[in-house]
Amino acid sequence: MTDNELISQITQAVMDGEAGIASETTRLALEAGLDPLSILNDGLMAGADEVGKRFESGEFFLPELMLAGRALKAAMEVLNPSLAGKNLTSGGRGGGRVVIATVQTDIHDIGKNIVASMLTAAGYTVTDLGVDVPLKTIVDKAEEVGAQIIAISALLTTSMPYMKDLVGLLVGRGLRQKYIVLVGGASVTEAWARDIGADGTARNAAQAVTLVRELLKTA
Amino acid sequence: MSDFLEILERSNNGEYITEENWDLEKVAATARRLVKKYRLEWDRTQVVTDDPSLVDAIYQAGYEMAVELGAYCRSTERIIALSQAEIDQGISHTPQTLVMGEGKDFRTLYARRLGDQRPPLFFGGPPGNPIPQPIFLPNVVSYVQEPLIDLATCGTLTEVDGFPVRTGHPMEIVATRRELQVVHAALNQVGRPGMGMLGAQSSVSELGNLAASHPRYLRPCDSHVVPMLNELKMDNRNFSRVVNSLDYGMINASLPCVIVGGLGGGPPGSAVVNVASFLVANITCRAHYHLLHPIHVRHVATSTREVLWVISVVGQAFSRNAPSIIVADIYPKSGTGTLELLYETAANAIVNAVTASHLEGCGSADGRLPNCSGLEARLMAEVALASHRMHMTLQEANQWVLKLLPLYEHIFSQEGGNPGLPFDQVYDLSSVQPLKSWQQMYEQVKGELRRMGLAL
Repeated sequence: MTDNELISQITQAVMDGEAGIASETTRLALEAGLDPLSILNDGLMAGADEVGKRFESGEFFLPELMLAGRALKAAMEVLNPSLAGKNLTSGGRGGGRVVIATVQTDIHDIGKNIVASMLTAAGYTVTDLGVDVPLKTIVDKAEEVGAQIIAISALLTTSMPYMKDLVGLLVGRGLRQKYIVLVGGASVTEAWARDIGADGTARNAAQAVTLVRELLKTA
Repeated sequence: MSDFLEILERSNNGEYITEENWDLEKVAATARRLVKKYRLEWDRTQVVTDDPSLVDAIYQAGYEMAVELGAYCRSTERIIALSQAEIDQGISHTPQTLVMGEGKDFRTLYARRLGDQRPPLFFGGPPGNPIPQPIFLPNVVSYVQEPLIDLATCGTLTEVDGFPVRTGHPMEIVATRRELQVVHAALNQVGRPGMGMLGAQSSVSELGNLAASHPRYLRPCDSHVVPMLNELKMDNRNFSRVVNSLDYGMINASLPCVIVGGLGGGPPGSAVVNVASFLVANITCRAHYHLLHPIHVRHVATSTREVLWVISVVGQAFSRNAPSIIVADIYPKSGTGTLELLYETAANAIVNAVTASHLEGCGSADGRLPNCSGLEARLMAEVALASHRMHMTLQEANQWVLKLLPLYEHIFSQEGGNPGLPFDQVYDLSSVQPLKSWQQMYEQVKGELRRMGLAL
């Protein structure tokens, strides 16, 4: 198999959401001596980008997005040791850690899951804490994994005040300057984000990825 | 009660599975397989299908999914398996009529059939829209004063006396009780104190729900929402709502907001998940009636082609195979003060009424702003009743929707949606009547609909 064929297979495996094939082909590509950065950018990320585009256009649905995220995660476990010391931030890919959660009392997770999948597909290391997550747990996890970004979601207007409380908790613990705080949810607006002292919001998952890239570049 | 406690116990000792595996390996994989097995397809130009074999196949696939999967308890990460006999019993026990409200204002909901001679009923209100406290009362009045509105619902309070409402916090109790006091005040103000309601919209956790279970707030003749989480999931919060109502006597409205483009995939798979959700909700939510409220994965609104299609096939599927009381929500993308809101409402009203649902609305502006009023609810009822009077067929309903879609579909690609104006900028708050500009838009759209042939 040629190098190009291996890269194409990796791309296709991510698009098909085939975790086993994605990790196995990644292993074969490494054994064949392919540049790990090329495997990442031309293989895995190319597939992930395509899945993201097809989701945005309505051709793919949530399961395809989630399965692609799984495939990417499986392949990255194989690839990660070879990436040690490489500059992963070139081209705005990877190189960032995100802790994401739906805040305490809110149990809606589809929007948060889509953002988490898209960020994973864009190469960020995402720790998804799930739904109804206490604020302290979110901050503690961000500290534990060395995140740069805390992304919190709330669909319910009556759960949105907890976003403000999270910013307050960061301030109270002297950690506010350490993190980029992004907020999201159906009723979240840019004005609300600004008012509570967050660093930004996005209208959809694709914009969230762009926002994360921009903010990490300037951080 | 003991039957339900047995179901509840299964959430403690059923098969363990992670939530991600439930989502992908159970729900998504089963939906994909059933769509293939039954060769389910949708056609963008057949928003209201008149193909009974397609509708029946969707019902059959949903039934198979319900029997195969059961439900998932998110609190315990366990599967609540349901036998075929239990699903069948849920169908046979589902109410065919249901009295809501009391005194002279009571209404009897019924399981609608395709071509039913009886008109649909209307819940008026913006279910869940955040409404500021100073305009909450006139906002509710704007709906319940409408003579065509049969039953009440309302928005949510996000602040009480200047203090923000937090879910799961004592303020949730305060907000839920205050909301219901205001709704009762509104019903008294318009002389319809016995009107039934779908209330306690400010109650998200079990706290508000428990606090509202008193005749001063939610009466036993009223209903409350028992949500299912996406997809086919329950949790202890929502089980608590069921247990509370079983003892107190409130009417349970199941609410599975199936996401079209979510775990079920496209419209056919999402319709299958919606059918399965109602069948499961008969048991896990002890549903007396079902709220049909699929939402679009990107646009939210119920007025998109995909969601209209799901509403139309699910309504038909139950009418033909397992008649149940279904109330289909209208959540337009646009807000008050826009023409598009009225076109969206008209399209949704025709689909919901012709495909055997009762109607609830409108959660204008995607239900996320106070940009909602009784005027669009009036149009919802007028259009639905016109389609009923005209004995509109499924084919004719489809033609109507295809004429209306081009009048508003552009808003789905509009940055920021089409929020319009808040209630207090389209209504006079003292007289609770639409301001001239909003009234003129309503008259304009009504005139257009008449000229297009609707018997308004």
